[in-house]
Amino acid sequence: MKQHRTTATILSVLVQGLGQIYNGQRLKGIVLLLIEALGLVYLVPRLGEAFWGLATLGETTQKFVKVNNSSQLVKGDHSIFLMLNGLIVVFVLIVFLVIYVLNIQDAYKTGLLRDRGEKPKSFRQSYENATGRYFPYLMLALPALGVLFFTIMPIIFTILLAFTNYSAPDHIPPAKLVDWVGFKTFKDLLFLKSWSHTFFGVLFWTIVWAVVATVTTYFGGVLVALLIEQQGIRFKKLWRTIFILPYAVPQLISLLIMKNLFNGQFGPINQYFKAFGLDGLPWLTDPFWAKVTVIVVNMWLGIPVSMVLILGVLTAIPKDLYEAAEVDGASSFQKFRIITMPFILFATAPVLIMQFAGNINNFNVIFLLTNGGPIKGDYQFAGATDLLVTWLYKLTLDNSKFNVASAIGIVIFLMIASFSIWNFRRSRSFKEEDMIQ
Amino acid sequence: MKKWLGIALASIMVFALAACGGNNGNNQASPSASSSPSASSESPSASSDPNESGAEKLQPEPGASLVIWEDENQRAFVETIAKEFEEKYGVPVKMEKVAPPEQVTKLTTDGPAGLAADVVVFPSDQIGRAATAGLILPNDVYEEETKNSSLENAVNAVTFDGVLYGYPYTVETYALIYNKKLIPEAPKSFEEVIEFAKTFNDPKNNKYAMMWELQQFYYDFGFLATTGGYMFGDNGTNKDDIGLNNEGAVKGGQFLQRLHKELLPIKTGDVNYDIKKGLFTGGTLAMDINGPWALTDYRNAGIDIGVAPLPTIDGNKFVSFSGVKAYYVNANTKYPNASKLFAHYISSKEAQLKNFEMNGILPANKEVAEDPKVKSDEVTIAFLEQFANSVPMPAIPEMGSVWNPIIAAITEIWDEGKDVKASLDKAVNQIKEGIASGQQ
Repeated sequence: MKQHRTTATILSVLVQGLGQIYNGQRLKGIVLLLIEALGLVYLVPRLGEAFWGLATLGETTQKFVKVNNSSQLVKGDHSIFLMLNGLIVVFVLIVFLVIYVLNIQDAYKTGLLRDRGEKPKSFRQSYENATGRYFPYLMLALPALGVLFFTIMPIIFTILLAFTNYSAPDHIPPAKLVDWVGFKTFKDLLFLKSWSHTFFGVLFWTIVWAVVATVTTYFGGVLVALLIEQQGIRFKKLWRTIFILPYAVPQLISLLIMKNLFNGQFGPINQYFKAFGLDGLPWLTDPFWAKVTVIVVNMWLGIPVSMVLILGVLTAIPKDLYEAAEVDGASSFQKFRIITMPFILFATAPVLIMQFAGNINNFNVIFLLTNGGPIKGDYQFAGATDLLVTWLYKLTLDNSKFNVASAIGIVIFLMIASFSIWNFRRSRSFKEEDMIQ
Repeated sequence: MKKWLGIALASIMVFALAACGGNNGNNQASPSASSSPSASSESPSASSDPNESGAEKLQPEPGASLVIWEDENQRAFVETIAKEFEEKYGVPVKMEKVAPPEQVTKLTTDGPAGLAADVVVFPSDQIGRAATAGLILPNDVYEEETKNSSLENAVNAVTFDGVLYGYPYTVETYALIYNKKLIPEAPKSFEEVIEFAKTFNDPKNNKYAMMWELQQFYYDFGFLATTGGYMFGDNGTNKDDIGLNNEGAVKGGQFLQRLHKELLPIKTGDVNYDIKKGLFTGGTLAMDINGPWALTDYRNAGIDIGVAPLPTIDGNKFVSFSGVKAYYVNANTKYPNASKLFAHYISSKEAQLKNFEMNGILPANKEVAEDPKVKSDEVTIAFLEQFANSVPMPAIPEMGSVWNPIIAAITEIWDEGKDVKASLDKAVNQIKEGIASGQQ
C-alpha cells in the first residue's frame, strides 16, 4: 500500500504538519502547524517589500519640507537599510524553508513506516529520539542560528556591497540612492587606470611583503633557535627569556616607539649615525627605505614567535640520528641540511602557511609604523608601504568608498583562501599525517 | 471522519493567523508619513504667541530632551549653557563626547538609524559631506539672525550650495606663535625670518627659527596661496577650476624651495606635531605656525608666548586656511524645533562671550569680536587679524581627492628640489583623475 506515504507527503507539502496529523502523530503535527503559522505571520507582510528593496534598492530619496518656515525631514528610501532588511527577511525565509523541507521528509518516512505495517512513533518516542540520538543537532540548532545571522549575514552583506556603487560623494544615503552596478567595481579596479595602477602596485607590494616577511622571520627564528641550542652555549634559559621579550611587549607600544626611533631628523638612530659622522638614512620618508624598515621591524617582532616554535621542534628530533651522522662522517652543515632542516620544515609547514596568510593581512606593523608610508601622489588614497588591508581601511574610514573597499576585501579573501587550501593540501604533512620520516 | 475535521480546523486556524498578521504588517508601512502632520500641528502655536520677546519663533516639542555631541574640552561650557536652557525652556540637554572631526562619519551611519545626537558640531570643511548625504537640517528659522550677527567669512563657511546650514560659534585659523625670549618682536615679513634664521639656526643642537607641520597641506597651502595660487575657483566651489599649478602657485613653490635651504633644512616626513611641540616647549624652536588649540600646552610649559599674524611674502599678507566650527541640527532628530532652538541659543552672543571667557575661543559673532574683553586679549586680536586674511577651506566633497597628490608634490618640491611647475602640474592632473574616478 503506497497510499500512506504519498498522501502524507502531499498533505505535508500543502500545509506543514498536516501529513504528520494524518499519520497519527497529532502533537508533532500541531507543533509543526504552529511553526508554519509563525513563519507566515512574519513573512507574508514582509516578503514583497523585502524583494522589492533588494532588487531596486529604493526609489525615492528624502526631502526637506518647509512647515511654517521651519524645514522638516520627510524620510525617503534608505538604500542600505533596505538591503539589510531584505537580507534579514530572506534569511528568515531560508530558515523556515529548511524546517518545511524537513517536515516533508519526516511525513514521507513515517508514511513509509505505516506502509510496511509498523506503528509510527508516538510523541514521547519522537521526543526521546530528539534528545537522545539527535541531541547534537538539537543543541547546535541555536548556535547555528546565531552564526547564520551574526556571522554569515554580515559577510553576505559586505559581499553584496561590492556590487553596488555605495561610496562618497555621490551615493551616500539617505540623500542619494545606491544602485546595483554588477561587476563594475571589479572592472574599474582592474582596468580603470586611476584605480588599477594603485591596485596592482599595492597588490605587488603586499605579495612581496608577505613572502619576505614570512621568510625572514622564519629563518631568523631557525637561526636564533639553533644558536641557543648549540652544545657550548651556557645560560640557555637566559637567552631564551631575552629573545622572547619583543613578543611580550604589546605590539602597539613597540611600533609607536619605533616610529619615533626611526625619525629621520630627530630619531635616536639617526642621531647616533650623525655622532659618528655618517649621514642618517631616510628610514621612513624614502619609499625604498621605508619598505626595508618595515621588514626589519617585523623581523624584530616576529622572530621570537618562530624561535619558540622551533625550539620546541628541535627537542623532538631523535638524538640517534645525529650520532649516526657523526659516525658516517657528516659535517655540521650536512647535518643541518639533511637532518635538522627537513625535520623542522615538515613539522612547521602548516604554521608557515598560516604565517604567510597572516602576513598578507598584517595590519598593525604597517599602519602603526608608517601609516602606509611615504605618500604616493599617483596612488588613489594609498602610500608606498600600504598593504591591501591598510588601503582598505583608509578607503573605508577616511574616504567612504565602501564598494571599492568591499571589492578589495573579496580579492584578499580569494587570494588567501585559495593559496592556503592549495598549499596545505600539497604539503607532505597533510598527505602523510602519521609519518614523520 | 474526526481526523479530517481536526485537520480542517487546524488549517483554518493557520490561515486566519496569517491573515491577521498581514493586516499588522500593512499598518507598519505608514508611520513615516505621519511624522510630518504631527510636526505641522506644533508650529501654529508658535505663530499665535505674539507676547514672546520676538526672538522665540520656535516652541520646543513637549517632552523633548536633547543630546549634543561635542569635544571634551568644551564640556564645562556646554553643561553651563545646558542648565540655563533647561531652566528657560524645560528641555534637558545631555552632552556626549565625540571629537568634531569624526562626527560626520558617525552621523552618516547613526543619523538615519535614529541613534545620533540632535545637535552636532563639526569643522566647516566637512559640511559638503554632511549636506550632500542629507544628514543636516538647514538653518532657516534663524537664518537672517545668523547672517546679520556673524562674521562674513564665518557665514560663507557654513553655507553649502547656497543654503545656510550651520550656527557658527568659533573661527579657527593658524598664526605665528613665537617664543618672546628667543625673538622679542614678531617678524613682519619672511625676509626677516630668513635673516633671523641665519644666526639662530643650529640643526646639530636642534635649534630652529621656525617650523610647521610640513606634511599637512593645511599649512603648506598658505605658501602657494599668498603668491597667487588657490584651491578651487569660484570661492572654493568649482571643482573643475583648480588653481594649484598657476603662476602664483609656482612662485610659491619656488619660495618653499628657498625656505628649505635657508630656513628649515629638514625632510617633510620628519616633522610631526609632537616633535614640534617638544622643540617649542624645550625652548629650541623660536617660531611655530600653529592654531589656538596649541596655546594651553605651550603656556603650561612656562613659555612666554606671543601671537602675531603670519609674516608677509613679497609684501602680500599671508593667506591661511580658516575653519569655522558651528552647531548643526541632525536631520533625523526626533525634536527638530527644540534642536534648532538649542543650536541658536548655544551660538548666541551671550553664549559665545561665555565660551570665550571659559575656553578662549575666537568668536564668530561680530558683536562679541568687538567686546572690550575680547579686544583686550592680544592673542585673540592676532588670530582675528589673521582670520581676516584667510580663506575658508573648500567644503565640496571633491576635497578628499586633493590631499594625497598635493602632499606628494610638496614632498617632491621640498625634499628633492624637483622642478616646481612639473610637480604641481602632475599633482593637479592626479587630482583631476581622482575627482573623475570618484564621480561614478
